[in-house]
Amino acid sequence: MSLAEDNGPERGGDEILAAEYVVGVLPADERQAASRRIDSEAAFARLVDQWEVHLAPMANAYQPVEPPATVKPAIDRRLFTGGAGAVAPTGGLWASLAFWRGLTTAAIAAMVIYAAVPFINPPAEAPQMRLVASLAADNSDVKYLAVYDAAHGQVSLSHVSGERASDRDFELWMIEGQNPPVSMGVVPVGATSHIVITPEIREKLASGAVLAISLEPTGGSPTGQPTGPVVAAGDLKDI
Amino acid sequence: MTPQDITKLIVRVSMKDRAAFDMLYRQTSAKLFGVCLRVLSDRAEAEEALQEVFVKIWTKADRFAVSDLSPISWLVAIARNHAIDRVRARRQPASDIDAALDIADPAPGPEAMAVAGGENERIYRCLDELEQDRAAAVRGAYLKGESYSELAERHGVPLNTMRTWLRRSLMKLRECLER
Repeated sequence: MSLAEDNGPERGGDEILAAEYVVGVLPADERQAASRRIDSEAAFARLVDQWEVHLAPMANAYQPVEPPATVKPAIDRRLFTGGAGAVAPTGGLWASLAFWRGLTTAAIAAMVIYAAVPFINPPAEAPQMRLVASLAADNSDVKYLAVYDAAHGQVSLSHVSGERASDRDFELWMIEGQNPPVSMGVVPVGATSHIVITPEIREKLASGAVLAISLEPTGGSPTGQPTGPVVAAGDLKDI
Repeated sequence: MTPQDITKLIVRVSMKDRAAFDMLYRQTSAKLFGVCLRVLSDRAEAEEALQEVFVKIWTKADRFAVSDLSPISWLVAIARNHAIDRVRARRQPASDIDAALDIADPAPGPEAMAVAGGENERIYRCLDELEQDRAAAVRGAYLKGESYSELAERHGVPLNTMRTWLRRSLMKLRECLER
């Protein structure tokens, strides 16, 4: 099988580049360029991930070495100093001075990348039931991380990858056992979004329920049932 | 700790759970330090790198959801890639690098200890299909983070020849892995 025939020369080039990146042989500038593409191009990131999976068994050869005891406190200083102490700030991560300070000292360059990564902020006190689902599907690059926070009666969605078409919306559904899907609402556009859950759905949301996202006309399904393809789904799990 | 336990810890870390972060550090820092040490072959730099690796893990834990890697492999990939980035950013005369690599290569090939389980056999079987020196180049590059120029020097071939070699080897490897 020839890559060039099957996928065109460009695809073959990316395949090689992904492998070279994972093996680690690229010079600094090419490595940085590849790293930027991993952050911005889902298809390229997938190629890299596949190569990481292929080659990962070789990493068994790395022998564990206990790091000195000074390392962990140094990490904590980088991430958490600035007055917050051991308690996560209640204002949420984005409002946390400690977080921004930690991030600044950690790496300015990293900030540019990770500012784009959405965060989900659990409340700091009163531990409550929380369920999490990783939503994905074959033949779709749409991926979300969903966290159900029972204390606030809302689902927080962290958009990981995949775009909706301009005249379409993503709609979130709960599927419980053999029952028909129940709409939880249209997923707001954005890196992080929250959907407040009605009391009826709250009662049924439990570990084992499935969350699914379908592609629907703008504003959501006109019928009350999914009309478009399911682009991502996953089980809710206790954490 | 089972892979499921580590997955749970990573998910909790993505929600900024510090207790989970502490536990994840306790469970995985020795392995990740081993990775940094092997690639960087300098203790002080490996300690610095390990700090940065865990800062990355804290900030990008939610990315684990989109990877097909097992949780420990995902963590190792972060450490390995970070250590290689650091090594590439160094400006060092080649002779120093050679000296460092000599130190970094511990006695009887730890690769030999790695054979266990079906997935392992697959990659090693595929490496065995390559010519011996090319398989060694792929392994050396992967484990120690050697660059094309370092490999070319060690194998005594021009840089472009090394690049062509390795690329062909990687494509053969891929065909074998997907067979």
